[in-house]
Amino acid sequence: MIKDITIGQYYNGNSVLHRLDARMKIILTVAFIVSIFICKNFWSLGLMVLFTLQTVIISRVPLKMVLKSIKPIAIIVLFTSVINIFYIKGGTPLIDGRYIDITTNGVFTALFMALRIVCLVVVSSMLTYTTTPTMLTDAIEKLLSPLKIFKIPVSTLAMMMTLALRFIPTLVDEIDRITNAQKARGANLDDGNFIERIKALVPIIVPLFVSSIRRAIELADAMDCRCYTGGPGRTRMKQMKFCLRDFIALIFIVLFIAGIVLLNYYFGAVLVK
Amino acid sequence: MPILSMQGVAHLYNKGTPSQSKAIYDINLDIEEGELVGIIGHTGSGKSTLVQHFNGILKPECGKIIVDGTDIWSSKKATREARFKVGLCFQYPEYQLFEETVYKDISFGPKNMGLNEEEIHKRVLLAAEYVGLKKELLEKSPFDLSGGEKRRAAIAGVIAMQPKVLILDEPTAGLDPRGRDKILDMIKSYREKTGSTVLLVSHSMEDVAKIATKVLVMNNARVEMYGTVDEVYSRSEELRNIGLNIPQVSKIFELLNKNGLNLGSAYTVEKAAEIILSKGGASV
Repeated sequence: MIKDITIGQYYNGNSVLHRLDARMKIILTVAFIVSIFICKNFWSLGLMVLFTLQTVIISRVPLKMVLKSIKPIAIIVLFTSVINIFYIKGGTPLIDGRYIDITTNGVFTALFMALRIVCLVVVSSMLTYTTTPTMLTDAIEKLLSPLKIFKIPVSTLAMMMTLALRFIPTLVDEIDRITNAQKARGANLDDGNFIERIKALVPIIVPLFVSSIRRAIELADAMDCRCYTGGPGRTRMKQMKFCLRDFIALIFIVLFIAGIVLLNYYFGAVLVK
Repeated sequence: MPILSMQGVAHLYNKGTPSQSKAIYDINLDIEEGELVGIIGHTGSGKSTLVQHFNGILKPECGKIIVDGTDIWSSKKATREARFKVGLCFQYPEYQLFEETVYKDISFGPKNMGLNEEEIHKRVLLAAEYVGLKKELLEKSPFDLSGGEKRRAAIAGVIAMQPKVLILDEPTAGLDPRGRDKILDMIKSYREKTGSTVLLVSHSMEDVAKIATKVLVMNNARVEMYGTVDEVYSRSEELRNIGLNIPQVSKIFELLNKNGLNLGSAYTVEKAAEIILSKGGASV
C-alpha cells in the first residue's frame, strides 16, 4: 500500500522533457491545466488528448508507470462521471424514463470531466516523473521569490519542502522495518475489525514518531554544523538557465492554447444551454 | 530431525522491475536443535534476508522452509506459529520499543500469543533476568533507558515468547566493547540455560569464534560454507578470498606454525593464551 505513493516519484531519464528547465515546466504545466478547462467541443478536447499523449511519448516514461499514476484517481473519475450522467440536464434526451433521465448534456459533461481529470493527472505526473524533487523545489523557490517583498520566507519554505520530499522514502523504509519487527513479535496487522486494526497501528506509529523526531534533531544539528542559516546569500550548485529548448517549449504551448481557443471559436460549444 | 531446514530457497528483490536481483538463492540448509550458529558474511551477502525467512517475515520465491517439522507456508496457522517458534530480533531492535513501561513492552509478544496474565508475568520476569535487566527498570519508560539497556529490553521482548529458536541480527552493532561482551555472555548463558537453538548474525569473526558451535558463511547470496568453527576457520585462504578476515590471533598462530612452532590453531585470545601457557607447562 505504502509503495503505491507516487508523489515526488522521479523516473530517471534523459528525454527533452527531463532536460527542460524546471521553472519552465511548472509554468507550462499550469498553463496546460488552465487550458484544459476552456475546451468546449470535441475538436479542442481531441487536441488536448493529443497534446497529453505526445507529452507522454516524448518523456519516454514507460506507459506502465503513467497508468500507475492514474490508478488512484480511477474511482474519482468513475464517480464524477456517473453523477454527471444522471444529474446534468439539457440537450436532447436519450433515455426518458420515469425514474431516470439521461440527456446528451449529461453524457457529454461526464465524458469531458473524465478526460479532463485524466489529462490533468497525466500531465502533472509527467512533471514529477521528469523532474527531481530537488529541482522542483528549487524551481518553486525561484518562481515564488517575488513574494519575498512581502517578507514571506520563501527559501525556508522551499527547504522545508525539499526535506519533506527527501524523507518520504526514508520513512517508508522505516515503516517497513518497524512493521517487520512488530510482526516478528506476533503483532497481527491484517485481521480484526476497524477498532482492532487502528489499535494494532500503535506499536508502529509510536516508534515511527520517536525515530522521526530523533532524525529531525540530528538533521538540524548536522545543518547547524555546516553553518546553514538559510535565507539570502545562498547560492546553488546547479544554476538554472533558460535555453533555446525552453523557449521552443513555450512557443509550443502558446500555439497549443491558441489552437484550443480557435477550435472553440470555430466549432462552437457542444453543450446546449 | 533438524529444527530449521531450508530446501532450494530463493528470494528476489525488486521483483518485476529493472533492478531485480537475487537476494539469496539455492539455499539448502539443516540446522540441528541446540546449536549456536554464527552467521557471517560481508554487507549485502544475504545474511539478514536469510534469517528473515525462518519466521515467515519474508516469503521465498521458491523452495520450502521447515521449522520443527512443519512447512511454514503450508497454512496461515503454520505461518503464525512460526512467528512464535522462531523469535527474530532485528538489527537495532531498540527502535521497536513503544510501550509506556519496559514491562509492558516485553509482554507485547507473549500477549499476542494469547497467554494468560500469570504466564505473561512469569515470562516477562524470566526474560528480564536472562538479559540482565534489573527489576526496578521494568516500571520505567523504555525511552528513559540507556542505549545498552534499551537493546537488552528489546531482546527480552523476543525471548519472552520463549521461542524454540532465537535469531539475533547483529545484536552487538553500535555498542561499546563492554556492552558487546555483556550481550555475547547473555546469549551464551541463555542457550546453556534453555537449551534452545540460537542463530547469531555477526560481522565479527572474533565474536562468533567465542560463542558459536557452528559457523555459516554467506557469500554472494549463497551459503558458502557451513560447519564447526574449526572446519570453517581453518579454510582461511578461501575466507580471505571472499573478503572475510580470520581473527588476528589466528593469523599470528598461522605464522607461528609456518615458522616451525607446532601450536595448532586458536580462534580466540583466551584459547591462544591457554595453548601458549600449556606449552610452557603452566596453566591459566
